[in-house]
This record gives sequence, C-alpha cells and structure tokens, in this order.
Amino acid sequence: MDRSEYVEFILDHFNNPRNHGPLDAPDILVNGGNPGCGDVVTMYVKLDEDDRVVEVKFEGKGCTVSLAGASIITEMVKGKTLKEIEELPYAPLIDQMGEDVVKSRLRCATLGIDTLKGGAREYPSRKAMGQKLIQPIVLAHTLLTE
Amino acid sequence: MTQYAHPQVLVETEWVAQHLNDKNLRIVESDEDILLYDVGHVPGAVKIDWHVDLQDQVVRDYINQRGFEILLSSRGIANDATVVFYGDKNNWWACYAFWVFKLFGHEKCLIMNGGRQKWIAENRPLSKDAPNYPSTKYVAQARDDNKIRAFRDQVMKHVAGGNPLVDVRSPQEFSGELLHMPGYPQEGALRGGHIPGAKNIPWAKAVREDGTFKSADELKALYEPQGITQDNDVIAYCRIGERSSHTWFVLTYLLGYPKVRNYDGSWTEWGNLVGAPIEK
Repeated sequence: MDRSEYVEFILDHFNNPRNHGPLDAPDILVNGGNPGCGDVVTMYVKLDEDDRVVEVKFEGKGCTVSLAGASIITEMVKGKTLKEIEELPYAPLIDQMGEDVVKSRLRCATLGIDTLKGGAREYPSRKAMGQKLIQPIVLAHTLLTE
Repeated sequence: MTQYAHPQVLVETEWVAQHLNDKNLRIVESDEDILLYDVGHVPGAVKIDWHVDLQDQVVRDYINQRGFEILLSSRGIANDATVVFYGDKNNWWACYAFWVFKLFGHEKCLIMNGGRQKWIAENRPLSKDAPNYPSTKYVAQARDDNKIRAFRDQVMKHVAGGNPLVDVRSPQEFSGELLHMPGYPQEGALRGGHIPGAKNIPWAKAVREDGTFKSADELKALYEPQGITQDNDVIAYCRIGERSSHTWFVLTYLLGYPKVRNYDGSWTEWGNLVGAPIEK
C-alpha cells in the first residue's frame, strides 16, 4: 500500500470506529493515556472461563492515530487469551497502519494495545482475589487540554 | 477599546483566503494530530511537524541552525517570505512553530486567528494536495536562546528574585492533583505541583470558543490582576512548552510585553529535577 492508502485506512477506523462504546459488565475496564497528545482511551474486555477475549470495546478521545489504533486492536485481539495479549508484538498493528505514517507517533498508535496489555498483566492478580479489574473512567483529556 | 500591541502579526481567515496565491507567502500548518494535514489543509499550505521537524531527534532541544536552513529550504520558504502559521487545538502548535521560527530570527511570521477550526467552520476550501514549491537556499541566523527562551537555571534565579511566572497548565496540573496520565507514569513528572510563585492562568482563557484570541481588554483583565504585567520580565511554562508558547504569543504580540520567555523544559523538566523547589 502507498502512504495515501494507509492514511485512508487509518481515517476509516477513526471515522467509523469498530467495537466502539461502553460494554456492560466487563471483566476488565482499564484506561490509558498519552500525555504527549492528551489522548485517553478506555478499553472494556469480557472474558470466558479460560481468560479468552469474547468481547472487547473501547471509548476515547484524542488524535486520529490513537483512536484508529485502538479501533484496529479491538479487531486483532478477539479470541486471544490475556497471556497472548501480553505477548502480542507491536509490528502487526504498526504494519497495518503504515510504519512511515505513524512512526513519529508510536505512542499514539500503540495507546490501545498498551492499555490492553496493562489490563492483561493486572487482571490475574485481581481474579485470584475474586475481583474484576475495574478502574474509574478517566476524563483526563479535558484536564490536560483545557 | 484597547488595540492589540502588534496587530499586524495576526491575520484573519478571510485575509488568508484572499492571499492564497501570493508568491512570497507561505502558509504552514502545524498540528498535534499528524493526519489532519492529510485530511485536508488550506490550499498551498506546507506541513511542519513540531516533533519531527522542529526538534532534535536525539538531544532534548530544537534543531540547529543548519537543520533549520534545510527545513525551510525544503518547504520552499525564502528568507524574505511571509509565513502564516495555523493549526489544530486553537493554534497551540502554530504558536510553537512561530516561536521556534523566532528563535532563528525569521522576520515575517503571522498567525491565522482561529486556526484550522475556524477555517473549517467557515466552510473554506481544503486541499489534499501537498504543494511542491521549488527549494530555496534559506540562510538562518544562529539560534538565539537568550531573548525568548528560558532555561531552568534562569527560572531558578527568576523565582528567587520574585519575578512573575505564569503556569498555563490546567488547575489540576497546577495543584499537583494530576501528575500524569493513567497507564503512562513514566511520561509524567515525579512530583506534582508548580514552580513556587507561579500564577495559574490556563492558556485556554486567552481564546474564545471559536478559537480566536480574546480582545486586548479581555486579555489585560486576565493577566494584569494576577501580577503578570508588562513592566516585569515574564516567564511562561506548561508541560513541554507548547501551551506556554501560545501564552508567550499573547503576551508578546497581543499585549506588547517587552520581555517574555518560554521555559520549554517546563514541568517535565522541573517536576523531575532533583532538589527543585515545588509548591502545591
């Protein structure tokens, strides 16, 4: 793909985000932010008994790259275990978005995946205590940019 | 009604629309969101990215004199060109780029009032075509870090002398309530709060809802009661120097303060600096 096709792909995810919106009764609700841009995303995950992702959604506010990256990653992690998400390499995501297009904003591009990875790391200890991993939804974007 | 001190540096969208084809004018879009230029930009505008183009990629500093010459030459900007900056977020990065251009002494710099938001709100034309201007042979002045840029040791002395300092971050950042964004603690500062003596006047108070700057009278009423007056040297800071470049522009060009410096190290430096005094 040439640059314009990558840009078109990113903008399609930005304008028509996949798996967007809150998720009822999630097992994981985690926030991630990127102070460089003031972006923030909230990732919701529902798991089966084997800690495999059965449903994932996101909400957020921020630049095109961060929100498109979050949208794309929701399509990549369905059916994966938390362990697999923790070990998920960045390259497939970056390849989809076009390395040349997003290389100066890798923090933005990986905001969604990093937030998910953080949740995947933390969830097992919560589960061991019989809890879910539910963070309060953050509206820090407005705090940073107001 | 008080006029802006230097009204000639601020142009309206209509003025830009009327001058799109001026040969000696270059329009520069500087955004936080790197894809906005691709989505559509003011016809003929070139893109300058604050992160990639203006900053040294190894040392935390700006590009050097040669780097600036290469950048401007590649964008077809000549030494005598008038450069009009605009961008997203009410011209945050446009003001930042303007400030960096001034470090290198580029003379004719303008800001398009209201930025990208206003241009689009007025249904003005957008182009997806990147212009291909002939390269120039730009000759830059050596970067002058003394007049409009402040470093941490200078800020220390400034504070010790009881001089005015304006923190343009949000009240939550100023109070230390917000240290960093969740999930990215490594990108925040180790300490929250503000530089002692700083007054908190968030940058956004200088603009209206449509992104245009408030009137001179409104701006005076915003800064003067807080002791940010033109008879003193003023230093502005935020988190990395981008929001404070917006305030630097307001104080310098709209209110005419003679000596305003932008502390670009800002809170990401001060809040991590061993031994630096902090107030909450």
